[in-house]
Amino acid sequence: MAMLSLTLRSLLNRRYTALLTISAIALSTALLLGVERVRVEARAGFAQTISGTDLVVGARSGQVQLLLYAIFRLGNPTNNMRWDSYRAIARHPAVAWSVPLMLGDAHRGFRVLGTTPDYFTHYRYGRGRALEFAAGQPFADVFDAVLGADVARQLGYALGHDIVISHGTGAVSFVQHDTLPFRVVGILAKSGTPVDRTIHVGLAGIEAVHLGWEGGTAPRHAPTAAAVRAMELTPQAISAVLVGLESRLALFGVQREINHYAGEPLTAVIPGVALQELWDLIGVAERALLAISACVVGVGLLGMLTAILSGLNERRREMAILRSVGARPLQVFGLLMSEAWLLALLGAILGVVLLYGALWLGRPLIEAQWGLYLAIGPLAPREWAVLAIILGAGTLIGAVPGYRAYRYSLADGLTVRV
Amino acid sequence: MTDATTPAAQTGPAIQLAEVQFRWRARAPLVLDIPALTVAAGERLFLRGPSGSGKSTLLALLGGVTTPQYGTVEVLGQPLHRLGGARRDAFRADHIGYIFQMFNLIPYLSVLDNVLLPCRFSHQRAQRVAARGAARSEALHLLRRLGLDGALAARAVTELSVGQQQRVAAARALLGGPELIIADEPTSALDADHRAAVVEVLLGECAALGSTLVFVSHDRALEPLFHRALCLTELNRAGTV
Repeated sequence: MAMLSLTLRSLLNRRYTALLTISAIALSTALLLGVERVRVEARAGFAQTISGTDLVVGARSGQVQLLLYAIFRLGNPTNNMRWDSYRAIARHPAVAWSVPLMLGDAHRGFRVLGTTPDYFTHYRYGRGRALEFAAGQPFADVFDAVLGADVARQLGYALGHDIVISHGTGAVSFVQHDTLPFRVVGILAKSGTPVDRTIHVGLAGIEAVHLGWEGGTAPRHAPTAAAVRAMELTPQAISAVLVGLESRLALFGVQREINHYAGEPLTAVIPGVALQELWDLIGVAERALLAISACVVGVGLLGMLTAILSGLNERRREMAILRSVGARPLQVFGLLMSEAWLLALLGAILGVVLLYGALWLGRPLIEAQWGLYLAIGPLAPREWAVLAIILGAGTLIGAVPGYRAYRYSLADGLTVRV
Repeated sequence: MTDATTPAAQTGPAIQLAEVQFRWRARAPLVLDIPALTVAAGERLFLRGPSGSGKSTLLALLGGVTTPQYGTVEVLGQPLHRLGGARRDAFRADHIGYIFQMFNLIPYLSVLDNVLLPCRFSHQRAQRVAARGAARSEALHLLRRLGLDGALAARAVTELSVGQQQRVAAARALLGGPELIIADEPTSALDADHRAAVVEVLLGECAALGSTLVFVSHDRALEPLFHRALCLTELNRAGTV
């Protein structure tokens, strides 16, 4: 078309303004696409906080609450479940493995999880990734501890460091189990899950530091470590159990059985379902972020409108010239509209380039910092849709200066207004 | 007064206006009221009139940008008053070359592309240019005849003097040999030396192409160069009211 090459030449003539406009659109497009991509990946990563576990079981409560304390180490269990209930689940013929979890203590703000060494083999995240040790090995002794990656990094602990567990889960505790320190024997690699912020010890270790605390106050004569090691330290109660089944076909049957367990009221949740429910709760923030990014794109496009409109009056002469050589008012409209279209198109293309550049540069950093793995794949259908909407909106916005130019060229005719 | 070089296809007058009345809005005063105006094919007409005499309006009617409320406007035998807007635009692209007083050129196009601009909008003119050879060489040829050498063609139009710009505008209007050239005070921004030079080449090219020329100017010194001179205030009854 005759007008499109004119549009291109006209834009080249105003290349600095055009470049600024394109940059604004490109940056806002990259931001929107980036937010969309991080959102999708975060959602996938979140849904994969725990994988390979078929059921999470705890005392009767809401499924989100159970998930929050058992997996995300947020809040506290309202009730514990009895040890014999755990044994009953572990013995169930459909259950392949089970890992007991005991929560309630902390060390300088990081939760302490009492569990068994099986935790390190059965806890999976992402697409079935197992936890890896950056250093050391799983706990074996009663007073061994394994640190999550963030704990080790933030507190600066290395293997062999002694730590004291405080009673309760606050960052500052006045009641310390300081007679029985733990020794760091293992540090886990970054996983991007709440495991990073957890200190892992054996169930026996949790029992040991609470010996004589049954009344709720510190015992007068705390036992020595050697004496503790000689004791039988099976807990009376635990907070939750991770359960893996022989076959996922049995999932709903076992879940129902546990929910109707006669011994005590229990809740069994399917992690994927509960995670979805939890995400729906916190999804408001995600949608707000997306809305803000969309507004930024709107601002970028409005910037383009301003740039085109502000230059329009000086271009009335150009329009009269074009009309004198036979341009129809509709072609003058098309000139302005195609200008907006071209700016939006170039902005969108540059935005995609920026997005991939940022992904490529930022991916190692983001994975190290937040454990969020961003795939550099082709554009998803939703992202194509976003680009199409930006391009469509940009072109539509071009109708505003297009219409004004159309009116001008009708009113001015061949009169050159300067 | 018909020139020997009149295009064979064209018979009868180039312009014929009858009982033309024009006002910009329904209740606005009459701007034009011309009982009759005939310009023969190949004629070179000098049109003068003070500002406000309806010159721009008359040129808008001749260019087919607008149509009168009453009367008939026939250009090259086409009843412009009966054609729709798009047809009139196409007609202008095909048959009319237009030169403004100043700022004739599109700043973001080179000299050559400015001259070739009509070819973008008129297939017919592009074909007529092509019939004489390649469009580029035809444009360069025109520029040379108007006293602009080929080195100028690739330059940005903003680097040209006003006189050079008006010659480029003349080359654009003449490209493809349109039957009617309308020049709206093309020399008023020029000093006397350049003025004579531009008018001479314009007249020469119109004669060579056989194009009809309507030349609007205040400069009565130029009048003797034309076949006929008209004063719009005498022609236009509305102007005297």
